[in-house]
Amino acid sequence: MGLHADYQTELNAMRQAFGYDFLALALVEPAEQQYVIRWKYATGNLNERFRRIVLKSGKGIAGMVFKTGKSVFIPSVRDYVAASSLFNYPIVQSEKLESLGAVPIWNDARVSGVLLGGFREEHLMTPDLMFALEQAARHGIGELDGKEVASH
Amino acid sequence: MNPLPEVGPMSPLMMKLFENSKEAIFFFDKSGRALAMNPAAEEIVSEDVLMKLYEGSEKALCGTCRGYTSDTEQITCLDCYFQLPASAEHSSFQVYLETKGKGVVPYAGSFHTVDPENGTRVFMLRDLTPQLRVQEKLYQNKMMKHVIEAQENERKRLSRELHDSVAQELMSAVVDLRVLKYMTDDDTVLKKVKQTEAAMTRLLDDIRHLSVELRPAALDDFGLEAAFRSHFKRVEENYGLVIRFVSGVARKRYDSDIETVIYRICQEAVLNALKYAQVDTVSVHLFERDGLLRLEVEDEGEGFEAGSDPIGTGLGLYGMRERAELAGGSLNVHSEPGIGTRVLLQIPIPESKEKE
Repeated sequence: MGLHADYQTELNAMRQAFGYDFLALALVEPAEQQYVIRWKYATGNLNERFRRIVLKSGKGIAGMVFKTGKSVFIPSVRDYVAASSLFNYPIVQSEKLESLGAVPIWNDARVSGVLLGGFREEHLMTPDLMFALEQAARHGIGELDGKEVASH
Repeated sequence: MNPLPEVGPMSPLMMKLFENSKEAIFFFDKSGRALAMNPAAEEIVSEDVLMKLYEGSEKALCGTCRGYTSDTEQITCLDCYFQLPASAEHSSFQVYLETKGKGVVPYAGSFHTVDPENGTRVFMLRDLTPQLRVQEKLYQNKMMKHVIEAQENERKRLSRELHDSVAQELMSAVVDLRVLKYMTDDDTVLKKVKQTEAAMTRLLDDIRHLSVELRPAALDDFGLEAAFRSHFKRVEENYGLVIRFVSGVARKRYDSDIETVIYRICQEAVLNALKYAQVDTVSVHLFERDGLLRLEVEDEGEGFEAGSDPIGTGLGLYGMRERAELAGGSLNVHSEPGIGTRVLLQIPIPESKEKE
């Protein structure tokens, strides 16, 4: 319970600091949940739809980040995906995001989570914000150490 | 009408047949000059050809005839039926005529001698267009059924292969990995093994999803309701779309064809709602009434104007209707902008084949 509060507080503070409309964290579930990846924490959300979604590695924005370990920077959702295939990005759609960035969160040299920050207006996500988001991810969040290379 | 002297008197009944028959009738004398034509015949032949026929000019009929179907060619003039001696006459053949206003039309024709003494021959034509159209439709439907069946079978094969062999093998590898945990106390090894196990477990999950997406084994093994429940759960996990499913068929089984049609159409209808309706709930109702299996897929989303330009390809609805009609059913789509969309599929259940 204490841990749960920690993640949520960290997210809230980060949203305050950077001004995101929506900020969410996806994490790998424990063995009992078949290690699936789900959106566990969010702030600024319009609805609860994101909680129902199980992320597929390699599918959607967060899935891509999870699979490749690379950040995704989308200054304009409209330029990035055609309206007709927007349904493949259910969170972008239901949270009405227009610009966003997503970064991997490493733990012990593995991608263990995805941090996604977005705005409901185009071009509000900037390279500077992107850099700051990557920095935050590198410092780790909650119990995740943020380290891309194993420490030992 | 040109009552020519050669025709002579006819009984009233024969006269009526000649006058009112929908079949075109031409009489020719032995030189190839037209003796008489009934109104149906005059209707299909253009004015100038008509004149030439009565004048008996050479190859007058060629002005309208485009050839007949032989055993080697669809349309040919080789061994023209008109030139053949009485002994080799075709009693029935398919012939193409350039008609007044309707272009080239296929006819079932017969050309034979009715008065051997004077060499009078009759040429009769019956319009084949409706028959050919029906035949073509029948052929198309048959082909479409085969294509769909082949597609489903191939999907079934791939799905089984993934589920029964690929996933099985991977599962045993995961089990081996779990055993590894008890073989060492080394923390770094344990951590690494755990990461690998997590990745492989997710991979296993992906393969199972792929298998179900191709064709759910549940549809063949447990029927529509089970297949729907697992499909809707997957839609919810992938897209966050909630599907309120009410079923009145429980574990009842139907013909595999019917189950497949219902499943595929429902899949498409739900996907349409997901893509275009901008909603996060859809309701699906499956029940039986008056010997019909009915599927309703309803959303309270954006809706659309019937006949308006589709956002997508517009082929989805067409394909759904096609599948429904092939199974002897019907598909109704009712949509109003701002109110929502309702898709109703009804398929008759063959009484005798019903299985419990």
